[in-house]
Amino acid sequence: MGPRHNRVWFWLSALVLALFCVFLLYPLFKVIASSVAASEDGRSGWLILVSDPKYRSAVINTLLLGLTVTVTSTLIGVPLAFFTARFSFPGKALIAILPMTTLIVPEVIAAQTWIMMLGNNGFLTRWLGSYDIEIPSFYGWTGLVTVMTFIYYTYVYIGTLAAIRGFDGQLEEASQSLGVPPGRTLLKVMLPVVTPAVLASAILVFTLVVGNFAVATILGHRVNLLSVLTYQSFVSEVGANPVMQSTLASVSIAIVACVLFLQRWVLSRGRFEIVQGRGTRPVGVGGARAIVLAAVAGIIVAISLLPLVTVVVGTFTRARGPVMRWGEWTTDNLMRALVAAPDPILNTLLFAGVALVLSLVISTLVGFLIVKKRSVLTPAIDYLGALPLALSGTVLGIGLAMSFRGGWLPLAGTAGIIILAYLIRRLPFGVRNASSTLYNIPDSIEDASISLGVPPLQTLFKAVLPLMVPSIAAAAVLVWTTTVAELSASLVVYSAGQETLPIQIFRLIDSNLMAQASAYGLVLLTIILLPILIATTLFKIDVFASR
Amino acid sequence: MAQISISQLSVGYGAEPVICDFSLTVADGSLFTLLGPSGCGKTTLLRTIAGFIPVRQGILRFGERDVTHLPAHLRDVGMVFQDYALFPDKSVFDNVAYGLRARKIDAPAIQRTVGEYLERVGLGAFASRLPAALSGGQRQRVALARALAIKPTVLLMDEPLSNLDAKLRVQVRETISDLQKEIGITTVLVTHDQEEALAMSDCIGLIRDGRLEQAGTPQDLYSRPRTAYAADFVGAANICSASLSASAATGALAEVQLAGVNLRALTAQALPAGKVVLIARPEMLVLLHNGVLEPNQLPCTVRRRQYLGARTVYVVEADGGIHLRVETHDHQVPRSVGERVRLLFDPLQTRVVAA
Repeated sequence: MGPRHNRVWFWLSALVLALFCVFLLYPLFKVIASSVAASEDGRSGWLILVSDPKYRSAVINTLLLGLTVTVTSTLIGVPLAFFTARFSFPGKALIAILPMTTLIVPEVIAAQTWIMMLGNNGFLTRWLGSYDIEIPSFYGWTGLVTVMTFIYYTYVYIGTLAAIRGFDGQLEEASQSLGVPPGRTLLKVMLPVVTPAVLASAILVFTLVVGNFAVATILGHRVNLLSVLTYQSFVSEVGANPVMQSTLASVSIAIVACVLFLQRWVLSRGRFEIVQGRGTRPVGVGGARAIVLAAVAGIIVAISLLPLVTVVVGTFTRARGPVMRWGEWTTDNLMRALVAAPDPILNTLLFAGVALVLSLVISTLVGFLIVKKRSVLTPAIDYLGALPLALSGTVLGIGLAMSFRGGWLPLAGTAGIIILAYLIRRLPFGVRNASSTLYNIPDSIEDASISLGVPPLQTLFKAVLPLMVPSIAAAAVLVWTTTVAELSASLVVYSAGQETLPIQIFRLIDSNLMAQASAYGLVLLTIILLPILIATTLFKIDVFASR
Repeated sequence: MAQISISQLSVGYGAEPVICDFSLTVADGSLFTLLGPSGCGKTTLLRTIAGFIPVRQGILRFGERDVTHLPAHLRDVGMVFQDYALFPDKSVFDNVAYGLRARKIDAPAIQRTVGEYLERVGLGAFASRLPAALSGGQRQRVALARALAIKPTVLLMDEPLSNLDAKLRVQVRETISDLQKEIGITTVLVTHDQEEALAMSDCIGLIRDGRLEQAGTPQDLYSRPRTAYAADFVGAANICSASLSASAATGALAEVQLAGVNLRALTAQALPAGKVVLIARPEMLVLLHNGVLEPNQLPCTVRRRQYLGARTVYVVEADGGIHLRVETHDHQVPRSVGERVRLLFDPLQTRVVAA
């Protein structure tokens, strides 16, 4: 391509980079910069952090929770992946829906339904209480670890399953033929090859736990956690504490940065070349072992699906204020959500819809620039495009709120800042999807179109984009499901009247109005599920292929 | 239709140019092959002609038209790619019509032209298929029809046969040759396969490290290599260090010493006395039974014999440990391993080049 045309792409790259700097780097810089500024009593945020036991315990608790949930998720996810990859047993097909559950059930709904089951007024608590069985309070560590484990183990499961399936079964046969018994073969041959994938997904779980806000704040109770304190110091009615909010946000940025660095290191060590990954066929299991396997897998799946059931039950259960009258049915809750107060639904559809369109356009452009139009700016765009992965929603929200409160771009208080938060949080996913699709489209397609007389920019639309349509459609569905469920960033930046469904659900849970929360939850689940169903059944799009 | 003239062209991405001070003329209507190993710069040169790589220095012309800095989409170049580069979402018809539509040609004319070119490549019945429903050979023929349908000034082909299996390769090779001759379009083809180059080209340019090692007709390149590299890359050759007793002019029959024996051979260029390289094709050497040495004969011992049906390949050893390959045809008397023989060099088929 002539130099004149390279310039067009170069300036587009520069524009993208500039946007990233303004909307991503600048807010991040704002957060970190004000953490070192002196607070009202003259101490810097970092000094307060070390001296105040509340903040110290928050850091320790967050790390401890991260480690605990990482371990428990791995303990569930890895064996489950191994058994589903290697054995076939009755009910195995059920486990195939596991990846779906984490995707479709927003964290705020998961937390809510667990409280409806095992909280102080939960139906399981009361049912057990009627038999004089006292269960320990679900709030605090018990609830945090339980709920997060059942949300996050699927990440380990999916990662490990992919690694085991990609493993070449001939290596095991080779090991056994060299005289190593099957059990030790697994330990000595498969484990080392699969370990990097397990570690990588475990590390991902750790970062997600550290950044988790919804479960942490709903179930944390008296356990101080970073994300909760960060949010509280932002919205606190007794005078927000800008220095502490920045400091706490910076701490979680630092933790995640360290962990992601570790992950890169793990992944770089784990590049074993598996020649012709011929997976082993699952072995059929019969008798008692089959029953045990099926029962264990069934229980795990059932627990993962409990939130769905509970939301439906909660929606149609009569409630008086916070008191749920289990067993008495009504449609009042749903009618109220749909007819009397549908604003959260409309807000969600509007904000997420705009964000989705923008996100698809931007991530396709960014992917195209990264893959097809490399320049000196490409590495910077590549890194910045993935940066939001390292930021929790709360941190991002605070950064945006601090940066665009007034000044030259007063976005705060407008819907624009919520859409911006959505856009930035889901950007890495869209970019990754677009670039992996573009890597599979050979450069010669573009060259062919140009040599046939179609100018470069038109070539993008006429030859390249049509090939990306299926994957953009799949990405659109996934971006939609995760965007409408977004809570932590939008909760920080929204203003009155702009409540989205997750925000409204969160507020209702906070006021202990579980029936109404369930109704909005059911609507949210419908908004999430409908596009998935339409895409997979009507358009035959493999939504989960890009995951 | 036009000749392609390249003069003093320099092309490169970083500090080191890939192609430096390169000059070449491709005659109007001829098929010119750029031949060379991977990484020699032949594809870079082709993509520069197509307009995908900016020119640093030099001039590129199609006929009288200076296209050095013309954007690729305005060059009127038909390009055939190694991986076909068919648009996978478009039918065979739409692929061939793509360039015509970009030229805003009216629908009936497009219909006609696409039909005509699909017929020419023998795919008239496949217009509505998607590329995925075609075999490799068919795909490459669609690519050819697509490139030719826009009636380009020049046709460029980047390793068009390398993704095909051996049998198809010969078939598509013939389709390309026939069509090129019929239309009479100036064509540049890139390949690393010397047989392909010899079979298809009017003229071959052997490229080495971004420079033109030798250009000429296939016969020129095979029988009159100017360097040891050219002799080695095109066909099999015995390449031996020898010495020249007195300086010799271009095309002279010079006296050369090899393994203590005087041999006469044609010089490829003017050479000073001293070290030279002697080039002899295995099939040009003749094995004679042991006897009294005559001029241009080298005493040897047979070290290995490989029977290959139509021919037999011998490895013989001359004094000083020099090994030579000799190809003989079946009607010649077989020699056995260990037998002493005389190796006859034909002076007109033996070349002397600079060391």
